[in-house]
Amino acid sequence: MALPTSSTNCNVSAAGLAAALIIAGLLIFPHAAATAGDRVKNEAVVTSQLAEKVTFVDLTTMQVTGDVSVPGKPAGIAISPDGLTAYVTAPEAKVLAVISLKQRKVVRRINVGNGPLGVAVHPVDGRIFVADWYDHRLAVLDAGSLEITSYIPVGESPSGVAITPDGSFVLSADRDSHQVSIINAQTLEVISTVPVGERPFGITIDAAGKRAYTANVKSNDVSIVDIMKGKTIATVNVGNRPYAVALAGGRAFVTDQYAETVSVIDLEANTVIKAVKVGAYPEGIAADPSGRHVYVACWEENTLERIDARSLEITGRVEVPDGPRAFGDFLR
Amino acid sequence: MLRTLALGLLMLPLAIVTAANAHGPTRQKVTETVEINASPDKVWDVIKNFHEFSWHPAVEKTEGEGGNKEGAKRTVFVKGAGQLHEELLSYDDEARKFKYSILKTDLKVLPVDNYTSILMVQDAGDGKSNVIWKGAFYRGYVNNNPPEHLNDAAAVKAVKGVYRGGLDALKKQIEGAG
Repeated sequence: MALPTSSTNCNVSAAGLAAALIIAGLLIFPHAAATAGDRVKNEAVVTSQLAEKVTFVDLTTMQVTGDVSVPGKPAGIAISPDGLTAYVTAPEAKVLAVISLKQRKVVRRINVGNGPLGVAVHPVDGRIFVADWYDHRLAVLDAGSLEITSYIPVGESPSGVAITPDGSFVLSADRDSHQVSIINAQTLEVISTVPVGERPFGITIDAAGKRAYTANVKSNDVSIVDIMKGKTIATVNVGNRPYAVALAGGRAFVTDQYAETVSVIDLEANTVIKAVKVGAYPEGIAADPSGRHVYVACWEENTLERIDARSLEITGRVEVPDGPRAFGDFLR
Repeated sequence: MLRTLALGLLMLPLAIVTAANAHGPTRQKVTETVEINASPDKVWDVIKNFHEFSWHPAVEKTEGEGGNKEGAKRTVFVKGAGQLHEELLSYDDEARKFKYSILKTDLKVLPVDNYTSILMVQDAGDGKSNVIWKGAFYRGYVNNNPPEHLNDAAAVKAVKGVYRGGLDALKKQIEGAG
């Protein structure tokens, strides 16, 4: 990095230096410029796989406000740190679709490999990490150029991807290796692989960046991974065919596809305190930034449903286009 | 050409191993319904026993145990095709609805993978009923670039055929019996 660092070799004014730093900052962290006010829109961006659409839901009114066509059976989703861009995997088209959330328009479609599925965005520099189900690796894309800059080989059929809030580690749930790969986000090296339950699919990291939670489709449980130790420290049984996990208020919310429930785990006792009845095939699940509500996409029912994270009751429901998956962090 | 063939042969065992559990492709959805001129209770009586599937014209017989309890297993003998091994996932007598899955898929019988299904009877008013049969499944070939007989369209077509055949026969059977 060739920033001017001393007054001896340059004649840049203080204001000029500040401007240079800001511009450099924008170049390195193109998504860091938005204010917090821009970030929270109270909106869900839902991938409807069979309808091949991405639908926008106003979470205040629980109304659909529009949609955009995304051919290729869209499944995975992540939103840029500034909340302005959605990255959606379209596995059948083998692309990552880049959606401007302001224009509500697909602005780029990028070939990313044979089976793009889970996707996550680096919270600091905006790089995009796409899991490839068939090629058994993560593709890393630069936030500005949207070019693939590297591939990280991981275990068999990586599905979910998550990144620690400080941006240090990238984790992938390697479904057919029954493990989580922990990757140094700077060197892009796999620093450890952690055995978890059978067929981990969704993976979610807590706000402290200390623990990761995988939903294990085959063993019907959730593995809790201590990221620094690189170890599974607890396993909690949930309903039939768990898919993904959301975290809010000291609880984990797990979608159970076959059981048609969301299992709620108390994270102090590591026990299920309630199975909330939801629509058939609950899949993508995410908590809003305040942790007040959890939103669930129900693939068979074609609904987005709202669970009150305290009372654990369903308090809202809206119909969305066919086959909502919303696999990833789909709220902004 | 030879090289491609050799590569294809090398990859074949891998493909079969992966097929057992992977679900990379897009899950498909089929819903078929029929309106029957009979009360919901009467229709439910015909189909509510998980081990009684003879109302479907393609079914020769079923064997199994566990009654209508979650976890019950049945083997469905399909006329001239083979067997399906199924498990009852949930049962709700009050809602007149049950849900089951295929445990072991025989692609010659049904070209699907990770199949679950819901069969339910709803009140359509005026002494009539709607029978709703829903399926969720992946195509039979779970890797990339499936052959035509194991692709998404083939899976949807096969399941639609099973549901349509069953529901139309059920309507005939119940309405015919007056």
